[in-house]
Amino acid sequence: MDKRNFTLIVSSRPWWKVDFRELLDYRDLFLVLTYKDLRVRYAQTFLGLAWVVVQPIVTLFIFTLIFGKAINVDTGGVPYPIFALAGMSAWNYFAFVMAQSGGSIIGAQDMVKKIYFPRLVLPLSKAIVGLVDFVVALVLLGVVMLYYQQPFSSNVGFVFVFFLFNFFCSLAMGVWLSALTIRFRDFQHVVPFMVQIGLYASPIAYPSSMVPEKWQLYYYLNPMAGIVEGMRWSLIGGGELSHYSYISFGITVLLFITGVLYFHRTERIIADIV
Amino acid sequence: MNRAIEVEAISKRYELGRHKSGSLGDSLRHIFTRDRVEEDSEFWALKNISFQVNEGEAVGIIGRNGAGKSTLLKILSRITYPTSGNIKLFGRVSSLLEVGTGFHPELSGRENIYLNGTILGMRRSEVKAKFDEIVEFSGVSKFIDTPIKHYSSGMKVRLAFAVAAHLEPEILIIDEVLAVGDFDFQKKCLGKMQQVAGEGRTVLFVSHNMEAVQKLTSSCVYLVEGRLNCMSDTKSVIGRYLQRSESGLNSTYYNRVGSSDIYMKEIKVVRGFAGVEHSWGNELTVEFDIVINRETKGACLSFQIVNAENVNVGYYWLYASDYDFGAREGEIKIKCVIPEAKLFEGKYWITTWLSDRSGLRLIENLDRICSFDFHINNIVHDEYPWAPSDATYLDKANWVFEGSSPVTIKMPRLRQ
Repeated sequence: MDKRNFTLIVSSRPWWKVDFRELLDYRDLFLVLTYKDLRVRYAQTFLGLAWVVVQPIVTLFIFTLIFGKAINVDTGGVPYPIFALAGMSAWNYFAFVMAQSGGSIIGAQDMVKKIYFPRLVLPLSKAIVGLVDFVVALVLLGVVMLYYQQPFSSNVGFVFVFFLFNFFCSLAMGVWLSALTIRFRDFQHVVPFMVQIGLYASPIAYPSSMVPEKWQLYYYLNPMAGIVEGMRWSLIGGGELSHYSYISFGITVLLFITGVLYFHRTERIIADIV
Repeated sequence: MNRAIEVEAISKRYELGRHKSGSLGDSLRHIFTRDRVEEDSEFWALKNISFQVNEGEAVGIIGRNGAGKSTLLKILSRITYPTSGNIKLFGRVSSLLEVGTGFHPELSGRENIYLNGTILGMRRSEVKAKFDEIVEFSGVSKFIDTPIKHYSSGMKVRLAFAVAAHLEPEILIIDEVLAVGDFDFQKKCLGKMQQVAGEGRTVLFVSHNMEAVQKLTSSCVYLVEGRLNCMSDTKSVIGRYLQRSESGLNSTYYNRVGSSDIYMKEIKVVRGFAGVEHSWGNELTVEFDIVINRETKGACLSFQIVNAENVNVGYYWLYASDYDFGAREGEIKIKCVIPEAKLFEGKYWITTWLSDRSGLRLIENLDRICSFDFHINNIVHDEYPWAPSDATYLDKANWVFEGSSPVTIKMPRLRQ
């Protein structure tokens, strides 16, 4: 029997055996793809990075007019633009990553049909590219807070924790969608709807306390509900987090694990069905 | 001697019609109707293939179109997986199913070298170490910081090849990538690959180009209809291949499942007028039925007429600059009418090429398909019998007797 190391190609592999070590071996490809996405995203756009700033500012303006002035939602004394921006920082990252990783396999089909690499690299690199949006949103928030003389909350250290949830939640959706889109192209059209509905189904423009108590349980089934609230809490403070938030965090973990497993299962037939 | 590749009882089944990704509606319907896979819609691309390759060996994989070469190659490259069987690959593998995979037009040559290199499995440090060598090999050093969208297609191909040629895996799997690029550069690459094979690396090489296979490999695997016909030394396998492909006579090519964005669904060699054999000076028409699944700007089509000695005697082309036929999705019918075919008597095949203009991508190459017989019985030539070596091509000519009353005889004379 030959004892050397070898690559084994077989017809099936255990459904649970996701090879994270191999993912690590491909870190250089991961870095280069991320770099490519960053470069290509802003190549030849006149305003370049400014686009990342313009888009949230426009949304913020509309929110401030409708929810801040017209409806006058209760922000617990925080100036409305700060309130909305804190929520948008988590949401914009989510929306970007979900859309980009969701389309990442279909978008790279020429590559996928010609060369082997762990396909998870594709959605994962998009989650890194989205960091630009997140950082820009935070800087924007800092500027607005400076203007209103509003101090950061003492919970600010938790930003990292909630960003981690945000990261895994976005990636989980992206991984689910990228695998589903391979099988059913319909999902390409689903993403814009999800972004649009989610923007109002998550506590971005309004606090989650506005949702009637009897609906709270269902409301927090949306993983972004807990994450947006958590992000806002760690940035600008406010009352205790709702105990329903744990539902959101649980859903995030569940989505991520099932997403990776489903992706793992679909990954091997990509070239046959794309 | 150590084994490099062990292929054991590999089979691959495709389920026709169901293997493409579809709409959600179709799948829901499948759940409810529970219709079984009909036997007709199953297709075994490979059946029970086993062979071994030793370290340092260069092995060719040959066979006609549809014999399963590309499926085998895709399985060896881990792009698709076998339905049953297993393969062991000892050592680091690089597979080259096309050149320039992942090239992005907005990025510079330098950035694309890193991108393509890491996609092909190199580490960044490796690319860095070989960077100067790659640039020099490509001959595009002057433009290395220019976005490659400004490169000519030739430059792109050279850059892509330069990266590929500097891979240093223990096992190298190469598809027909040699078919693109200009001739001199092809020779350079072939030389480089020969060097790779000579350095004790294991090479698997799939090609239609028998000359290249002969130069590069010592033994060959011959696939016929998804089964292993034989594995032996290159010379005898090629002999067998040529002999067999001559007996496979079929003047129509038909492919119901295409493997790429654009593929030939049907090709026919048609006679000029009904009921008469293909004969000298008459119309010869080749009809193509092409399916375009994804619009491809810059698709080029060409074909060659190949004789029994495997010599290309005619070349016909329709490039994107002439007419961009791939720009819209759908099925198109194109025919190439040769008004007066002037071939010599014999058996002919055609070899077709579909590629896209950037030159980086050969979409489909069908080798020696649609055989047809060509006759010159309609030419008066009774004094001497024709010999096969007389010509490959017969043209019209005027014979002129000079003098006070010049006479012109138009040759050849046709039988009435």
